[in-house]
Amino acid sequence: MVDIYLVGVGGQGIITASKIIGDAAVFAGKNVLLSETHGMAQRGGSVVCTARIGEVSSPLIPDGQADVILSFEALETLRARCMSSEKTIVLSSMERVTPLSVSAQKLKYPTPEEVEVGFKGISARFLFVDARRLALEAGVGMSPNIVMVGALAGTGITGLPRKDFEKAIELNISRKLKGNLDAFAKGFEIGKRAAP
Amino acid sequence: MLVRSKPPYPSIGSYRVPESFADSWKRYFHLLPNDISVMDRLLEAPPGSKVLLLGNEAIARAALEAGVTVATTYPGTPASEIGDALARVAKQAGIYFEYSVNEIVATEVAIGAATSGVRALVSMKHVGVNVASDALLTFAYTGTRGGFVLVTADDPSCHSSQNEQDNRYYALLGGIPLLEPSNPQECYEMTKQAFDISEQLELPVIVRTTTRVSHVRGPVLVGEIRRGAAKKEFVKDPKRFVTVPAVARVRHLVLLESLKRAEKASEDSPFNLVLKTGTGGSRGVITSSAASNYVLDAAKEMRISLDVLKIGFSNPLPSKKIIEFLKSHELVAVVEELEPVLETQVRALAQQASARTRIVGKANGVFPRAHEFDQAIVARGLAAAFGIGSLPKSVSSPDTCELPLRPPVLCAGCPHSATYFAVNKATNRKAIFASDIGCYTLGVSPPYSTADLLVCMGSSVGTAGGLAKVNELPVIAFIGDSTFYHAGVPGLINAVHHGHRFLLMILDNRTTAMTGHQPHPGSAKDPCGEEVSPVSLEGVVIGCGVKWMRVVDPYDLKTTVETIKDALAQPGVSVIISRRECALIAPRDAKGAIAKKQFIDQEVCKKCRTCVDKFQCPAISSIDKVQTIDEALCAGCEFCAQVCPHKAIKEAK
Repeated sequence: MVDIYLVGVGGQGIITASKIIGDAAVFAGKNVLLSETHGMAQRGGSVVCTARIGEVSSPLIPDGQADVILSFEALETLRARCMSSEKTIVLSSMERVTPLSVSAQKLKYPTPEEVEVGFKGISARFLFVDARRLALEAGVGMSPNIVMVGALAGTGITGLPRKDFEKAIELNISRKLKGNLDAFAKGFEIGKRAAP
Repeated sequence: MLVRSKPPYPSIGSYRVPESFADSWKRYFHLLPNDISVMDRLLEAPPGSKVLLLGNEAIARAALEAGVTVATTYPGTPASEIGDALARVAKQAGIYFEYSVNEIVATEVAIGAATSGVRALVSMKHVGVNVASDALLTFAYTGTRGGFVLVTADDPSCHSSQNEQDNRYYALLGGIPLLEPSNPQECYEMTKQAFDISEQLELPVIVRTTTRVSHVRGPVLVGEIRRGAAKKEFVKDPKRFVTVPAVARVRHLVLLESLKRAEKASEDSPFNLVLKTGTGGSRGVITSSAASNYVLDAAKEMRISLDVLKIGFSNPLPSKKIIEFLKSHELVAVVEELEPVLETQVRALAQQASARTRIVGKANGVFPRAHEFDQAIVARGLAAAFGIGSLPKSVSSPDTCELPLRPPVLCAGCPHSATYFAVNKATNRKAIFASDIGCYTLGVSPPYSTADLLVCMGSSVGTAGGLAKVNELPVIAFIGDSTFYHAGVPGLINAVHHGHRFLLMILDNRTTAMTGHQPHPGSAKDPCGEEVSPVSLEGVVIGCGVKWMRVVDPYDLKTTVETIKDALAQPGVSVIISRRECALIAPRDAKGAIAKKQFIDQEVCKKCRTCVDKFQCPAISSIDKVQTIDEALCAGCEFCAQVCPHKAIKEAK
């Protein structure tokens, strides 16, 4: 059983990322359940998806029980703290989308150090991924989400073969497939650093 | 500088309607999830294969396999993807699909088809059934010939809704068979089976999902798609289908007889089954829908042994099966989300059968009656109900409440933002705002605060009449284009006829934006790209008898403010159509701008904060007292340049 908690901001391709994980699991012959945020809850708001791989009935992950927090945005990483425990691996994009409340209520956006410190003593590992830069290097600036999927695959924690992830990317992405597979590969290499 | 002298789409007749819905999808591909996949899994997944489907997509696939001929809907979260999936494949699959004007019309179109003998599917969100109920409840009297399935997607916890009503009551109210899937595979199996049940009983069947069923993806083992008959001949039978009182009285008795047969079907249904956790035992749980998933996972986590009677065919209930289950267990917990629909009936059955089983549930305060469940809630309830099992270790949640919140907001370039800024400027916030259902409801939050009353689709127009009768302040009603067609028109007729005095602003962004840009009666093409007759908003407004109507471009601040002031001086109901295509589907230049991208000239900026305190745009931020525009996020609508009182916002080079 592997529980992956995906967080970020509406528009970052989180549902696509979760679908790739789901398809990869189906290709590998595993049971999988994904849940996602739609409608009113999107529109630039915080978005949460879950992916549970294994024999399980309910799609929601109980608090503190995520094996992986896969975050596409730094502030949202910190907000997901309640899902983590000593077994959790945190993979966070360094991407930053400033919420309007920072401007309107004169609040402060946390620094990368504050995000990382937030998980000190709570989770097993923390890895920042410069997903935007790696996506640009692969020639697919719009695909930091694919880099993050690569990082997840690179940790090996899902137990799913790399080829099934790649097959799932082919199924879900029709534009710039080669660039996206490159982005995945770059993420994969980084993800190895957080392997248990 | 874009200040247009004329609205972009001028008068009645020469309506400039954006290109087809399908084409605009392709053009703004980068704005949408990159999921227009190489293979359309819905249609092309081969029989016998396991394919990852959303609960809603599984319903669509099942309808195709059941040979559905007519499918209708009005979009609404969490039901939208049923219609969207069918819209995408309708042409190829050879079925008729429409986004109807509202849920009751969607239901009626499906009734017309099903009573002729073909299979029909109608889907909607839970509150849509309130609109459809007038047709649905009497349709249960006439019954159907072809299989008729209504899917209602309920929304416990109101993720995207104005209430969390429990639509299982509609099944009880109407005497309508009810199926409740708990995952995508069951969505598929139950929907397919629902068509057969409907034809066997000659009754409509309701399939009820919840957000955590409709919006869950999982592997679905699919079968073969088959085509239903495209044409049938309606066989006249007025003593059945024309519900004058004499017919209705007889048909009610027929319905009650049919329900007896339905109970037999429920008794025999494979969807009502006993599962075991651990070794099973004397402790039982009766559960349904999403709650059943939490029961199974919680019991596993707590290592407790239970017999679980999972009810999938839940109206009529399988009485014999339930009584037998009660009699063979000393203690039974009823675990269901929202209303105690199962529980009340189970208690009644226990009383009828003189069962001595102790029953726990909502009546004992063991399970809550509001909001959706999760594994932790169910685990706590099971522990309390059975006084056993170690509760899962409680996790001390680190405090995250000091983090800046990120509530949903109107997008960069959203024409509603511009309209609301203009309204506040024109009224100095001294007005009462009757709002409605759509993206524009987000105007409730600061800085706009342009929503004071909202109950349901179309309510802005009706409530504005009552507000205006008893208040001194001017009243402004806001309604979107799709919502106006859906339920705003009768309200407007009423306002004109009774001389209510208020301003109705129709926020016409040329699409049904909130639910995913579905077309509506103002669109020139249907979702399959076929030409349809656009129904002009102006024509409808004038047809309702409105004497004062103007069309403005909300991106033109000055004209919009003046027009609003003019409108509020009118003696009766006045209408302003504020027309601008949704920024997510509006044509953009090579740089991604609707007109021109902007920047803030820091030498001119006086730090007055108007652009962040009175206006709101995701591209404009104020960090450490410096206001800037994120060029990547900027939609290039040029509206902020009109908002800035110091002309510090300029065209980006």
